[in-house]
Amino acid sequence: MAIIEAKNIHRRFGEEPLVTHVLKGVDVSVEEGEFVAIMGKSGAGKSTLMYQLSVLDEPSEGSITINGVTVDTMSETERTEFRLNTLGYVFQDYALVPDLNAEENVLMPLLMSGVDWDESIRIAREAIDSVGLEGKYPNLPGMLSGGEQQRVAVARAIAGKPKILFADEPTANLDSVSGKQIIELITSLNRDYQQTVVMVTHEREYALGCDRIFHMEDGVIVDVEQLR
Amino acid sequence: MQSLRVGLLLGLRQIQRANIWTTLLIIFVMMLTFLNLIAVSGILVGLIEGAERAVRAESIGDIIISARDDEDRILETPTFERQLQAFPEITAYSIRYEDGGIIEANYEERRDLSGERDIASVRVTGIDPVQEELMSNLSKSVVAGEYLDPDEEGFILLGALYTEEYAENFGDIFETVSGVEPGDKVRLTSGNISKEFTVKGIVQSKVDEVSLNSYIPEREFRRVFERFDRNADQIVIRVVEQGMEDGVKASLVSAGLDDFAKIQTYDEGKPKFITDIKNTFNILGTFIGSIGIVVASITIFIIIFINALSRRRQIGILKGIGIQRQAIEFAYVIQAAFYALFGSALGAFVTYVILIPYFDENPIKFPFSDGILVAEPEGTFYRFLVLFVITLLAGLLPAWLIAKQNTLNSILGRK
Repeated sequence: MAIIEAKNIHRRFGEEPLVTHVLKGVDVSVEEGEFVAIMGKSGAGKSTLMYQLSVLDEPSEGSITINGVTVDTMSETERTEFRLNTLGYVFQDYALVPDLNAEENVLMPLLMSGVDWDESIRIAREAIDSVGLEGKYPNLPGMLSGGEQQRVAVARAIAGKPKILFADEPTANLDSVSGKQIIELITSLNRDYQQTVVMVTHEREYALGCDRIFHMEDGVIVDVEQLR
Repeated sequence: MQSLRVGLLLGLRQIQRANIWTTLLIIFVMMLTFLNLIAVSGILVGLIEGAERAVRAESIGDIIISARDDEDRILETPTFERQLQAFPEITAYSIRYEDGGIIEANYEERRDLSGERDIASVRVTGIDPVQEELMSNLSKSVVAGEYLDPDEEGFILLGALYTEEYAENFGDIFETVSGVEPGDKVRLTSGNISKEFTVKGIVQSKVDEVSLNSYIPEREFRRVFERFDRNADQIVIRVVEQGMEDGVKASLVSAGLDDFAKIQTYDEGKPKFITDIKNTFNILGTFIGSIGIVVASITIFIIIFINALSRRRQIGILKGIGIQRQAIEFAYVIQAAFYALFGSALGAFVTYVILIPYFDENPIKFPFSDGILVAEPEGTFYRFLVLFVITLLAGLLPAWLIAKQNTLNSILGRK
């Protein structure tokens, strides 16, 4: 069963006559428990597509259904709530709140979901432990390496047990060792817990653990590579 | 509720991990704003309050008894006095006889009898020097010479504004005699009766009722002004503790003394224009202080705006991971509240623990009063509330402006 169903997605920026047509009628379907990568050259539209699929942006045209819910007509508040309850994000540059320690960064979305304080702490610590950062709960982001910060970001993304995990070039700012560790972490989430993952990457090496790779070029998907 | 929890966590951590010097600077600005709001109006009101306190201390006391509207004098004054002595709440009182006369100086040196005499119309008050001293501490106002001795006769205390030397700063607005010093002879005339007095002292005070007055013992007053019925013009009373005057007045009234005179507490008896001036100064002070509020709110706005703007991407990411806008806005409101609360608390500390006691001990010397700092707790509280609410709005507005921006644009740093 498709957990993401996007049909005829267009995304344009600007106004006539200076319109940039970034996505030109993309159809995407992702099955539950699947791990897909979106690849392409710079400017191909891979990040823009991910923003549409992850409800961070609204397509100019087309329809997106996620987990059976049509997200096109949602208000900003509803979209925020939907992201909180259904989706998890790992951004390029960790995107942790510098004033919050590792534990607080992870528990914040849990508190927002209505989980009580003690339970949030328990879940947050469990998530931090699961990404191999046992005992680093009180560390501020500035006290962690880039790889560790990205692990905290992964912990934050998975703590609320999202239906889909989106990762936008999660290795872009990491050295090769840390990058591999993060990819291994994300892959294991999919392998061990059947976590649906949509990842944007421009490095084929990191996409080899995926089920499928969507290759994009000039705003359209030109090839779908089946790996498993 | 969830938004409040997350906002509280974010706000508290931002405060906790902010640069300590920046935080102290903002709190200092808020403290100055608070002081501006409280102290400016407090000093203006304090000018009048200082004058009022002086009038109460040096002239009309806590309770003032005067002739009923349909009478010229206080009836049955001796009876009145006996009754007053029975009240333990009354620590002192002074019975005063008042009239106007002409005082003449330098008449012994006057050679040209057709020339102008050195005279001045004066207000004369007959007092019991001991009673008056207990009541108003009049001897403290003697700036030259000595206070009246109860066993002496033929001496007068002359108000400083009746002497040319002391009154010259005020131009020609007062009638004065010139070159009069303690030990000089002056002649006091009322109608056909004249009596020579030796100036015992010069009294000067910022209370006009003292500086524009002359005091002689009541026995001599009655002789000069032919007042033999012993009915006085004014009785002023000091009670044990301020605030008891309403109760004492009620007792005096219930004893039937209001049949003989008009009995008023200080607040009832003080001229209405004093209250009007105080209110006017209060409004003026509040207006000036409100400029401070505007400046402070703009300061807070800019601080929070820069703070939120520099975290625009972070705000976008927070929204991206599902944190509602209200939580983010609340975090900034918490910060603004923190600055306002601590700034105001510090301002209140400085006001009540340092400034008010300091100005009480060292009043500002104005020509017509010794100015103090007045900050009634109730008024201070309302001003604090205004400052607090405006600061919250100044914190909310920039946070709202930044947080309402498109989530993806914020994350990507797009306009």
